[in-house]
Amino acid sequence: MPDLLRRLLRTPQGAIGLAIILAALVMAIAGTSIAPYSPEQFHPRARFGGPSAAFWLGTDQFGRDLFSRLLAGARATLFYALAATLLGTAAGAVLGTLSAFLGGLVDEVLMRIVDAVMAIPNLLFTLLIVTVLGASGVNALIAIGIAFTPGMARVTRSVALTVRRQDYVAAAIARGESSGYIVLREMLPNVVGPIVVEATIRVAFAVMALATLSFLGLGAQPPSSEWGLMVAEARPYLFRNAWMMIVPGFAIALVAIAFNLFGDGLRDALNPRT
Amino acid sequence: MSIVLSVTDYSLTYAGGAQALIGVSLAIPRGRVLGVVGESGSGKTSLAYAIMRYLPAGAVEAGGPIRLGETDLRTLSQAQMREIRGARIGMVFQDPSASLNPTLTLGEQLIEVLTRHKGLRGAEARDRAEALLVRVGLRDPAAMLRRYPHEASGGEKQRVVIASAFAAEPECLLLDEPTTALDVITARQILDLFAELQAETGVAALYISHDLALVSRVADRVTVLHRGRVVEEDAADEVFRAPREDYTRRLVAAVPRPDVRLVADTPDTTAAPLLAAEDMTVRYGRPSLFRRAPQTTGARDVSLLVRPGEILGVVGESGSGKSTIARALAGLNPFEGAVRLGARRIERTSAMDRAYRRAVQIVFQHPDASLNPRHSIGRILSRPLALYGAPEGVGRGDAIAALLEEVQLPASYARRYPHQLSGGETQRVAIARAFAARPSLVICDEITSSLDVSIQAQVIALLLRLRERLGTAYLFITHDLNLVRQIAHRIAVMYRGELVELSDAGTLGGPASHDYTRALLQAVPTPAGV
Repeated sequence: MPDLLRRLLRTPQGAIGLAIILAALVMAIAGTSIAPYSPEQFHPRARFGGPSAAFWLGTDQFGRDLFSRLLAGARATLFYALAATLLGTAAGAVLGTLSAFLGGLVDEVLMRIVDAVMAIPNLLFTLLIVTVLGASGVNALIAIGIAFTPGMARVTRSVALTVRRQDYVAAAIARGESSGYIVLREMLPNVVGPIVVEATIRVAFAVMALATLSFLGLGAQPPSSEWGLMVAEARPYLFRNAWMMIVPGFAIALVAIAFNLFGDGLRDALNPRT
Repeated sequence: MSIVLSVTDYSLTYAGGAQALIGVSLAIPRGRVLGVVGESGSGKTSLAYAIMRYLPAGAVEAGGPIRLGETDLRTLSQAQMREIRGARIGMVFQDPSASLNPTLTLGEQLIEVLTRHKGLRGAEARDRAEALLVRVGLRDPAAMLRRYPHEASGGEKQRVVIASAFAAEPECLLLDEPTTALDVITARQILDLFAELQAETGVAALYISHDLALVSRVADRVTVLHRGRVVEEDAADEVFRAPREDYTRRLVAAVPRPDVRLVADTPDTTAAPLLAAEDMTVRYGRPSLFRRAPQTTGARDVSLLVRPGEILGVVGESGSGKSTIARALAGLNPFEGAVRLGARRIERTSAMDRAYRRAVQIVFQHPDASLNPRHSIGRILSRPLALYGAPEGVGRGDAIAALLEEVQLPASYARRYPHQLSGGETQRVAIARAFAARPSLVICDEITSSLDVSIQAQVIALLLRLRERLGTAYLFITHDLNLVRQIAHRIAVMYRGELVELSDAGTLGGPASHDYTRALLQAVPTPAGV
């Protein structure tokens, strides 16, 4: 593992991505305690302010400090994005490995369902699920997780098919292990590498998707300072104070890029020959 | 006699500090074949690469010249070397499908050699190519030239590779395990072809192989390499009959000799069969949603039985169905017909219950692939114990230690992972795993084919010791006839999915034998001087 980290840091993408992600994680964990103001505190005299000594990144229509809101929102945005990816990855990995292990008709049916689901545009599919479940942050998380599952199942299956042919799987079948043990304990640990890479890149999509849902009013609800919601709330005031949109928008972009870079770096680090 | 290729006191060290070759000297006169024998890691392939000047970055050379005729190859630039490779030194590698480009026809590849090194053009080159293919024993050369590598068999491909190696009429040939990837009979034909062409053209050849018996047949002189050093160099039959060095003696002793039996007892022929296959047919092919399964038959109507404590050898070339049967008996392939374990008759894989799976264990060819790389040795060995229970009154940890001791590995290995062990050690772990279930039959599917000959001898000795103590029967599958004749009580011969013969080890190849069996026996290289 330390060897992997060293190789990761040697790639510029990996180092930059990791640095930004670590900074974002610090924001998410310690955000509310290092914030200069409460994210919901009004400053009526300083509405629509630009960056200043008192309010580093400016203020919104109620005079709330954008920097404090950004810090508070990091938790909602980042953790929900990670949780959504984790959900989608875990479900997809188990499904894909199971499909590869069982093979035959089961595999065929599962993969055709995956094809059908993947034919629906991802955002549309997410919107559909949220509409059925009802608008809330947690439901947005679940929706994104479900929307990620088919893609992850696809990726996992292709890796698992090669693992399936290994003799240690044959040995497990021959000594009478249960299908559950073979899928979870023999095969999954060996398909984890490519999945981790795919999952990191997908966190970026999850950040974007969460922001999109919140922007459309289907994710986090006011007065939350989830970043997508901040952008949505800034829309009517775009011409009075552009900072309201620039600050959360930039934060979303930065985190998305960071996870993309990190994923690229990780892929290179896991494949030293490429 | 003029020396074509000579290496004098040559040493090679790789970037990591690993010494591949230490003070190696050899010389090959015109028209002679020098065999280079060594186990994996002995530096024999490094030697070939050093001569061909395919050295990786950071390799440090020391010592004397590598001369081809009067030229010192070490002083040449890569561009000059390209003129020599293929033209003055020809090469034949182990795997013909890897040394041929899959996207070009065989004709394009052979004609390219003629164009590049002989300056032939158009119809002239084509005629010459056809003549070469006829010379290497390919019947329809015009058709063969139009084929792609995947449309030809392994033997045909290796013939084409040999044709292109001889095409430029080189002074010297390097052959690196040219028959290892081929079937016994095909390998023999390729060897005979090489010997014929070599005598005809008078080319000097360096023949690299791990197979001492084979090299002693092909070569005039043999050099034995061990850990980068030349241990012994002598006339081929001398090395085999009267090895001078300790290492060579051990190597020669480890080579299986069909006339030396390793198993003395005979199983009770009146005992009830332990396991029997009855008219077993195995078909391959995966059904899809819209298509019935395409039916490829891996094995047809095979009937055989194993008695308690018996070693039943199964031999045949690749694709003969011997592994197919093994996997069906281990419950890995669906089959038609029936398997009988004791009094029970089993007709489906799903009917193989816990008792069956416990009684019949399998060990695979490649230990690297059959041990999960993410599990520690302790965990690998704990699974059969968890499924079938440890022996009475013994804790899981002690049971694992006992298993490791049984296969002569230290108990501390339980904490290690498969990649930290050598090939021989991982195969011992796989054997320990099979014996953890205390089976009555262990199926050994080519378990020594990926091992060096000295390691193979140790693994075989271990198997025989375990059998002596526990009375386990073996279904021993191999392509090595010499080996199986040393240990098996009876031998089954498979050919194209069918069981063509099943006879006692002693009478195999007798007048009553099947034609294929006799062809197989004739093709096997027996050590020179035996």
